[in-house]
Amino acid sequence: MEEFLCTEDLCRHFGGVMATNKVCIDIEANGLRSIIGPNGAGKTTFINVVTGRLPASSGKVTFRGRDITNKPTHKLVKMGICRTFQITSIFQNLTVFENVRIAKQARLGGSLRVFSARKSLKAVTEQTWAILERLELQDLADQPAKNLAYGDQRVLEVAIALAGEPQILFLDEPTAGMSPAETQHISELIRGLADEISVVLVEHDMDLVMSISDVISVLHYGSIIAEGKPEEIQNNEMVREAYLGKEE
Amino acid sequence: MMIDRTSIPADTKYLTPASIAAIAVVAVALVMLPFVWDNRFYISLINEMLIFGLLAMSLDVLLGYTGLLSFMHNAYLGIGAYVVGLFLIHISPTSIWFAALVGIAATSLIALPVGWVQVRTGGLAFALLTLAFGMMFHTVVWKWYSLTGGDDGLMGVPTPEVHLFGWSLGTTGDPKVMYLTTVVVVGLCYLLTRRIIHSPFGSVLEAIRENEDRAAFVGINVRRYKLYGWMLACMLASIAGALFILYKGYIGPTTMSAFSGAGVLMMVLLGGMGTLWGPLIGAVIFIYISDYISTMTEHWEIYLGLVVILLVLFLPTGFVGIGDHLKRFLKRKG
Repeated sequence: MEEFLCTEDLCRHFGGVMATNKVCIDIEANGLRSIIGPNGAGKTTFINVVTGRLPASSGKVTFRGRDITNKPTHKLVKMGICRTFQITSIFQNLTVFENVRIAKQARLGGSLRVFSARKSLKAVTEQTWAILERLELQDLADQPAKNLAYGDQRVLEVAIALAGEPQILFLDEPTAGMSPAETQHISELIRGLADEISVVLVEHDMDLVMSISDVISVLHYGSIIAEGKPEEIQNNEMVREAYLGKEE
Repeated sequence: MMIDRTSIPADTKYLTPASIAAIAVVAVALVMLPFVWDNRFYISLINEMLIFGLLAMSLDVLLGYTGLLSFMHNAYLGIGAYVVGLFLIHISPTSIWFAALVGIAATSLIALPVGWVQVRTGGLAFALLTLAFGMMFHTVVWKWYSLTGGDDGLMGVPTPEVHLFGWSLGTTGDPKVMYLTTVVVVGLCYLLTRRIIHSPFGSVLEAIRENEDRAAFVGINVRRYKLYGWMLACMLASIAGALFILYKGYIGPTTMSAFSGAGVLMMVLLGGMGTLWGPLIGAVIFIYISDYISTMTEHWEIYLGLVVILLVLFLPTGFVGIGDHLKRFLKRKG
């Protein structure tokens, strides 16, 4: 079987701190992989390096057999590697529709049309509506993104990422700061996505991670210390130690 | 609720009936003006307002739409003006349209490597680079006496005939002819820029303004589009430069100084950035105030500064926000 997304001895250090330390991971072409770990374990740094937001210090990232280490972000997105951010990152003063539409336009092309109207890109407009309807944001389409409730902004962020037609989607703490009802809504959404594409979830909510993940990787001090199905991770001694400290 | 899947909600339209009407009224008024009111002084003043309006509008493409601050956008007006002037003096004193094209091309050629360097940065670093490059250009023009005339400026620029489809309107030395040329060129530039801003390309610039990081993560090559925005802004500025040299018949290095650059920035902020027409109004206000105050005192910059401070404090969104302010004011009263 062809490899999907792999890292080989991936490292990223900040000064003397190894935020990502020789990480080797082999992510499947579909399903839900969660990355957990105590605060400061290097989860976000790992995602930042893989998605091209930070350059790697050493090591390699490959996608479908191609070396993609330190490629520019926009090229990775065009290959189908998309993400959301821990701190909501949307186009605040643009409408909800425009937030998704621009991502769709970047995906389908037409950005160099300087003399036509935006709605002349028919496929872009139609597919934008489809995404908004799928995520139940269509009634907010004409609202500036900054007017949205926090939970809706988080959903919008997923919508923007989906517009890029990802093959692999990195979600960095999508439920942070959400109410239980909103968390429920977004977890169903994530589970649905994982049946179609590969989803990599960084999350602190253990109940959520244990209930929806197919595979879990545990990061501790920048290294992977355990990998396996949710029940295996729950019973793993090293993971308990990492979270709770060693029993004396 | 049924959704029309071919429409974009709250889309900003290129032209609405109201905007067509407004543009038509302004255009007709501007074209008619010299025929009903033959005051050379005011025709010239309005001519200058329109030229700097075009420059301010070009800066708005950069500041209001792409989110990039240029402290010395006047440098590119200056380069365009000098090139057009030198072309008319040394190469051909009559080919007005060709001279303008050479001016735009030469400015683009200079702006391209500058932009290439600048777009590698953003925010404050970008702004500082515009200042650094602008001051370099200013010094070159100021010190290269044999080519530019240095301090004395470029003098003796010919006044070519304005030809349109083989039909001569008169020479640029005639204020009325020059004024009408400016009205037509600035009007066309406004319509063209407005068209571009409302296009899919324009939406990419807006996305970069809103969130550069996010724009890269939806697959936009941010540096490349910043460079496109920069080039568009510089080309428009060079068109203003071509008009400037034809209108004045002269250009000196002060037009390219950091001080003048700040003035252009003020025009954009006074008018209201991110609207295109706001900076045009801003240029009208700025030039009117500076002209009015300079007739009363030679320290006019001090008073101009005070007026600008008051306007910025009480109209932070610029002239375009005046309607909202009035509405709120009346509501409080009533």
